[in-house]
Amino acid sequence: MDFFTYVGSELDELVFYGQQHFLLVAIAVGIAGAISLAAGMLLHTNRLTPDSWSKPLRIGSREGLLVASSAALTIPSLALFGLLQPVLGLGATPSLTALAIYSIYPILRNVVAGLSSVDDAVLESARGMGMGPVRRMLSIQLPLAWPVILSGIRVAVLIIIGIAVVAGAINGPGFGSSLFLGLQRLGSVNSFNQVLAATLGCLVVAAVYELVFWAVQRFTTPRGIRV
Amino acid sequence: MSDSGKPMIALEGISKTYPKAAAPAVQELNLEVPEGTISMFIGPSGCGKTTTLKMMNRLIEPTTGRILLDGEDVTTVNADELRRRIGYVIQQVGLFPHFTIADNIAVVPKILGWDRNRITARVDELLHLVGLEPKDYRDRYPRQLSGGQQQRIGVARGLAADPSVMLMDEPFGAIDPITRDRLQDEFLELQQQIAKTICFVTHDLSEAVKLGDRIAVFGPGGTLQQYDTPDNVLTHPANEFVGEFVGSGAAVRRLSLLELSRLELQSVGLDGTGERNGAPTYEADAEGRPVRWAYLPGTQARPKLVTVPHTGTVYDAVDVMLDSQTELVGVVDGEQRLQGALWWKDLVEGLKTKGQA
Repeated sequence: MDFFTYVGSELDELVFYGQQHFLLVAIAVGIAGAISLAAGMLLHTNRLTPDSWSKPLRIGSREGLLVASSAALTIPSLALFGLLQPVLGLGATPSLTALAIYSIYPILRNVVAGLSSVDDAVLESARGMGMGPVRRMLSIQLPLAWPVILSGIRVAVLIIIGIAVVAGAINGPGFGSSLFLGLQRLGSVNSFNQVLAATLGCLVVAAVYELVFWAVQRFTTPRGIRV
Repeated sequence: MSDSGKPMIALEGISKTYPKAAAPAVQELNLEVPEGTISMFIGPSGCGKTTTLKMMNRLIEPTTGRILLDGEDVTTVNADELRRRIGYVIQQVGLFPHFTIADNIAVVPKILGWDRNRITARVDELLHLVGLEPKDYRDRYPRQLSGGQQQRIGVARGLAADPSVMLMDEPFGAIDPITRDRLQDEFLELQQQIAKTICFVTHDLSEAVKLGDRIAVFGPGGTLQQYDTPDNVLTHPANEFVGEFVGSGAAVRRLSLLELSRLELQSVGLDGTGERNGAPTYEADAEGRPVRWAYLPGTQARPKLVTVPHTGTVYDAVDVMLDSQTELVGVVDGEQRLQGALWWKDLVEGLKTKGQA
């Protein structure tokens, strides 16, 4: 059976894996994004932040979180999925947890970078006009940092699409189980086609995400700062 | 420039010592800015002039002392609410790049919960006031504007909620000299209309002399060395520090304080209408505009007739004389009619102002 005939016969199965894979990445990055945004905003400080007891604490926790999440990124993916298995079992939960852990660093890094890239003069004039810290964060800092944050989310998604395959090792959703099965029986009928289809499937998911990001960026970047 | 004498904003015994700093940045400062006047804060770098300004809207909290806004002690009220009552304009402007010009101006009115029609009307009014056509600029973004236009918007934004006090931190410092000069002139015209109480930090003595009703000279350690009218600061420096700071150019700078309309000028006559009795006479064209000198007492030379408007200052007259290398200049009114003449030798022999015999 040639590759295209194989894909034709397995199409329903492949589309289902594709949707699973897409959702797995979306939910994991969503969780990581929520954590990183919340942490990044709460722990944000800059030159204009008034000195208080909490300032060193916030700087410390932020840097600590960055170091921890970057260290997590160096854990081999197969090992992390395996290590979570005793605690979280098999399937979707440990898969989402592991992928979320991997996504935190790129997103948090860009939340921090984006927020600190906001011009001091803009913040000083906002303070001088009587905008409180919450209003400043929501109507000034976050919108201005958004393009940088969004590119962090995009990098996280691209990293995670590949790593998500490993979820197959613990019966997680997505192309992983299909890929591992194909690899195990390499040499037998259609095994190579199965591996190739799963690999290309990941690329298709990545391409769909690129389109999504193009649209999101187009519609969420404020007009005054669009390049 | 109504000077009712009532202080609109006042500092009483204000000091600021930064944590871990040995010496205070501002020390025991007392300062009253009368309603509707402009006070210029000037001094060498690090003398606390910006710190003092920022303590007025509590961007920097004073260590000791009281701040009074229109007689009300605002030292401990909610700082954000206080800042909405005080206009604030900074050198780098700090417009919000993702807001349109209209939205930038409307920031404080929106926070204060004005209704939409009132905000739109106010934005258009302010754009007119700073000389930008509302329909052309309202929907633009800050990056589409030049530096000078951005600072105009910065001033309009500071004025948005009609605050009684404006704090301006070197607003024209980053603008090229020609535009700066024009903005200063516009600023003075604007102040004629709005009569705000303004505190204005500058490092440019000419700017301080040109714009200020009063000048506050700050010295080392955040101390106020002198707080007086520009004329007094230039002619009667309170101490050696101020004298040195004002420097050797003081006499020349004073020239720009003296408006020609306030001077007793030498009278001049239209040639052929009277005796040539010691006053210069001139020939005029059909509309009565002076063309050339016809007679000058005591000399046969007939220098070119150059004029300067009576709204100008002695500085402008000197500039015209040096430029055209003549020793007298005609002072004209708005319709180009000659009002009188000013001689070079008058400058060194002492200028007479009107009402002074």
